[in-house]
Amino acid sequence: MSEDLAFWLSYITNGKHLTWYASFQFTIFAAVFGGTLAVVFGLIGATLKNSRFLPLRLIGTVYSSIVRGVPDVLFFLFFPLAFEQAVEWFIASQVCTPDMLAAQSAAWPPCKEANWFLGTPEYLILASVSLGLVYGAFATNVIHGALRSVPKGQLEAARAYGMSASQLLWRVHIRQMWVYALPGLSNVWMLIIKATSLLSLLQIADIVLWADRLGAPNFLPAVGLVHEDWRWRYYLVLFVFYILVTLLSEKVFEAIMRRAGRGILSEVRH
Amino acid sequence: MERFLDELALFAPAVVFNIYFAAASIPIGFVFAIFLALGKASASPLISRLSRGYIYAFRGSPLFIQFFMVYSLALSFNVGVWKPMGLSWFVLHPLFIGPLVLVLNTAAYTAEIFYGALRAVPRGEVEAARAYGMSRVQQFRHVIWPNLIRLAWPAYTNEVVFLFHATAIVYFALPVIGQQKDLMITAKELFERDYNAFLHFSVAALYFLAVSLVVFFLFGLVYRRLMRHMPAAPGLRFAPKWLR
Repeated sequence: MSEDLAFWLSYITNGKHLTWYASFQFTIFAAVFGGTLAVVFGLIGATLKNSRFLPLRLIGTVYSSIVRGVPDVLFFLFFPLAFEQAVEWFIASQVCTPDMLAAQSAAWPPCKEANWFLGTPEYLILASVSLGLVYGAFATNVIHGALRSVPKGQLEAARAYGMSASQLLWRVHIRQMWVYALPGLSNVWMLIIKATSLLSLLQIADIVLWADRLGAPNFLPAVGLVHEDWRWRYYLVLFVFYILVTLLSEKVFEAIMRRAGRGILSEVRH
Repeated sequence: MERFLDELALFAPAVVFNIYFAAASIPIGFVFAIFLALGKASASPLISRLSRGYIYAFRGSPLFIQFFMVYSLALSFNVGVWKPMGLSWFVLHPLFIGPLVLVLNTAAYTAEIFYGALRAVPRGEVEAARAYGMSRVQQFRHVIWPNLIRLAWPAYTNEVVFLFHATAIVYFALPVIGQQKDLMITAKELFERDYNAFLHFSVAALYFLAVSLVVFFLFGLVYRRLMRHMPAAPGLRFAPKWLR
């Protein structure tokens, strides 16, 4: 019995497993950074959508409807690739000389010197930005709706006090908007959490990739077969992990909503 | 322009796979969801807890993980069960596993929609039906169901479009067999060939958008038919919510 325990203890603390545990940082970073960016892009998008200037309003509307109209995976893959190419194209226009261009045989980049190598940190940041862009479109809609449900009387009162337009926006409108936006933003956050499972598509060695590697049939010449195909066990762990994260986020959002709703008389609080 | 048309033609066989995955899983998921929603509203604590737990688990975890989990489970049963029965070729085929996981996933989301609609069915109508002496089956068939489906239809339309979008990750989790490639795999392979991200991904996005709009149109027609007894047809809003 104690031998069994010792085996399992050493099994789940071996080097590869420790790397797996460490890779949770990528998922957490992408969720937190992506979520923050989504709120920022949401605020920008909602402001654009509310703008009095037609082209800006169009940009806001097109952004929120086009990005939501295509699958998140597509945009999630497209944005980092397109960004990388755009940067390489810019470098190429600065660096490449005609003989460098002539020496290059591959389709891309234009010359070898213009190649921009992306490691895990770069991909992680790009992935977070694209999560922010995709879910910012969802947040745009949520915040746009929330801005419209702030009671008119509050804004009129603020105006009657002689507040300027920006004071009114920042001190009254956006402050009060959160109560109405929180239920929707909590939905967006749940979507972001679930989308963090896609990081491995951008060559980041995240929890999903490690679960696959660790679960694959493990054969050591010295020991023989350590374990057969255990992938489903590792994926089951991730399945439960994500459910627990959802549960935790729900509780946290409930607490935030209770706190944000203090002193506001409305039917928003159930 | 010609390049663009060629590109559209290249993607045409691929979109069939996405449509297949969606079309195969929607009807089964629909039926499964009705039972799940009724289960969640059931008076029996066991059934209610089980359905509640199922719905929570599948709505609270990523579809990507669900794909890997079900596929690796099917793989681990391969030597013991499928192979002796001679079923491996069928059970492990993406065209089977794909819809299977999508059904499990969409049933949970749809059940949540149906459950919400079930609770919004007017009490008075159900009480009137009971007063008429209708059996429980009759109550469901003639009073609860017609109300439920009308209440749930707009949200269900969104769910169907979301499911169609979700078909984009099927082949990122399951093996691609031969020429059976969906839109995303086609776009990715073309990109790896000539590094033209803007063209390939935009065309794939166009296909997704086009099919989504067709779905909205068809489901809008059904909604109008469902609501034909109402004085002014409210019509399905053309700007959809796209949010699960």
